[in-house]
Amino acid sequence: MKRVTGIVALAALGASVAAGSAFADTSDKKIALSNNYAGNSWRQAMLRSWEKVTGQAVADGVVAAADAFTTAENQVTEQAAQIQNMILEGYDAIVLNAASPEGLNGAVKEACDAGIIVVSFDGIVTEPCAWRVAVDFKQMGKDEVLYLAEKMPDGGKLLEIRGLAGVFVDDEISSGIHEGVAENAQFEIVGSVHGDWAQDVAQKAVAGILPSLPEDIVAVVTQGGDGYGAAQAFKAAGRDTPLIIMGNREDELKWWKEQKDANGYETMSVSIAPGVSTLAFWVAQQILDGADVPKDLTVPFLRIDQDNLEENLANTEPGGVANTEYSLDDAKKVVDEAKM
Amino acid sequence: MSSIRQIFEKPWIWAFVAAIGVWIATITFTQGQGAGGVLTAAFSFATFSVIVALGQMMVITLGPGNVDLSIPATMTLAGTVATKVMATQDSMIIFGLLVALGVGLGVGLVNYGLIRLLRIPPIIATLSSSFLFQSAAIWYNRGLRIKPPPLLADFATSTVWGVPVLAIFIIVLSVAIHIALHRTVYGRSVTAIGQNMRAASLAGINVNRVRFLTYILCAVFAALNGFFFSAFSGGAALNMGQTYLLNSIAVVVIGGTSVAGGFANVPGLWGAALFLFLVEAMLNTYGLGAGIRLLLTGLIIVGVITAAGGQKTAR
Repeated sequence: MKRVTGIVALAALGASVAAGSAFADTSDKKIALSNNYAGNSWRQAMLRSWEKVTGQAVADGVVAAADAFTTAENQVTEQAAQIQNMILEGYDAIVLNAASPEGLNGAVKEACDAGIIVVSFDGIVTEPCAWRVAVDFKQMGKDEVLYLAEKMPDGGKLLEIRGLAGVFVDDEISSGIHEGVAENAQFEIVGSVHGDWAQDVAQKAVAGILPSLPEDIVAVVTQGGDGYGAAQAFKAAGRDTPLIIMGNREDELKWWKEQKDANGYETMSVSIAPGVSTLAFWVAQQILDGADVPKDLTVPFLRIDQDNLEENLANTEPGGVANTEYSLDDAKKVVDEAKM
Repeated sequence: MSSIRQIFEKPWIWAFVAAIGVWIATITFTQGQGAGGVLTAAFSFATFSVIVALGQMMVITLGPGNVDLSIPATMTLAGTVATKVMATQDSMIIFGLLVALGVGLGVGLVNYGLIRLLRIPPIIATLSSSFLFQSAAIWYNRGLRIKPPPLLADFATSTVWGVPVLAIFIIVLSVAIHIALHRTVYGRSVTAIGQNMRAASLAGINVNRVRFLTYILCAVFAALNGFFFSAFSGGAALNMGQTYLLNSIAVVVIGGTSVAGGFANVPGLWGAALFLFLVEAMLNTYGLGAGIRLLLTGLIIVGVITAAGGQKTAR
């Protein structure tokens, strides 16, 4: 904890030295976080990261205020009203995790017209005047197959666990996985189930399809939150556990660590850190500071590999998700990458 | 011949016919591979559906408006508290079970307290109490996933000749409930209240006591399910009960119990629970897209209910 805030403070200090005028430019600016949902561990961690990093930024005088607001229900109308309130309250920038990609466009446009900077992240908005800190979910799916291709050059049969049917994220990750498989023809997806990103749903779905699948499945490609359930289903069916890609949940990492200690089990884990809210915060601060920031930015993945598993597991709250907070320098790096 | 006709007049037979049909359709596709494995998995998961459905069935049988929506939260709370109390110690299993059952008892008391003392309709009372129980589970352990004691986990996942041991226990429990329903004063009273509460009351049945016992029973079964399910799946998770709300109601209705109350059916619960698992397994095995899968699931369920209902009106 202390170390992270230390790094943040250091980063803020470094920024003030490097940018020179940064303090003067944004120290009187107010930034608000508009959030539509807080009912799972990911969102809780997202809010805590925001509090930690922006609290320090306010104390250091980087910005005047960074208040977080969450709507009671996950509803577009409510969040639109919340944004209108923020306009009236005179915030200079709104960092937004939107309930809908299109539904808030009217309110976002109003904010832009009032001269307010709007930075959307995770749940992004399509309104052109807003910035988007988006996740390349398709690449995330493809990375899983690329990792497997490197690890198992001979290829083999794969089982795919998808997320919640009908959600954009599920389609994106899955299309990335399928694209990766198409490019690496030594792999073949022999079964696909929906695990709804929940371990018990995934366990049930995998248990149902497993008996009808061939014995020589080499790996399970997943979307996060479902790896542990898949492992349980393989165990219950009395099968050897294949390589299961994990999604940074604490129970997945813990299981992986146990297997690693017991038999040298190897895999990797990838997801988005809830701390992405802090990246959006620094992006907003940079825009207020007058920096030239492209409208479309990409969030880096938080990837855990064999050698940094212990370190990440130790930093992950029991029952939570592996997390990292971003610094001003991280934000600058993301902006520079987008410019290229 | 007449005995065959008699069997087909039973409302629960259609759930079994559907389950067997779906199973055959699955193994035809895989050319026999995994025939036994699918059945073992189906019995493993049907067991958990049946535990909660037994309680839900009794509640629904009490008549229109009676339903317990707090089942998922009760499962979560009981599972969370029990795994924490047991702290992976084999010697604490019995104590953990008692704690889980105690949680169920408490939940039942709160639920019926809201229904009876504050005169809140059951659907609202159990919905609002479920928020309390879910919050209590979050507060008690903040989503921390504690493993079940190894002995308990082995028990919950063990099989004898392909039959899950837990399923055998729950089949025995189902038989007990079946007998209670048809052969005891309590069971007959539940049915009578569901058919006509006023008539039952005038006939001298203590309506409040029977309803009270039924809500307690339902909550205790939900807690029992939370206990075993967290043992089965390697610990209690905050969302572990989520799928059991609609599932418990669907199993009851597909199993041939009247949703309007007054008529319960225990054997159908097993047929329906196996059927619902096998349908999903079959559609996954066929490798169909999610949209078509949901569509077919809906159509198949409608088909089975229509077949069962059509038979009843013909009678």
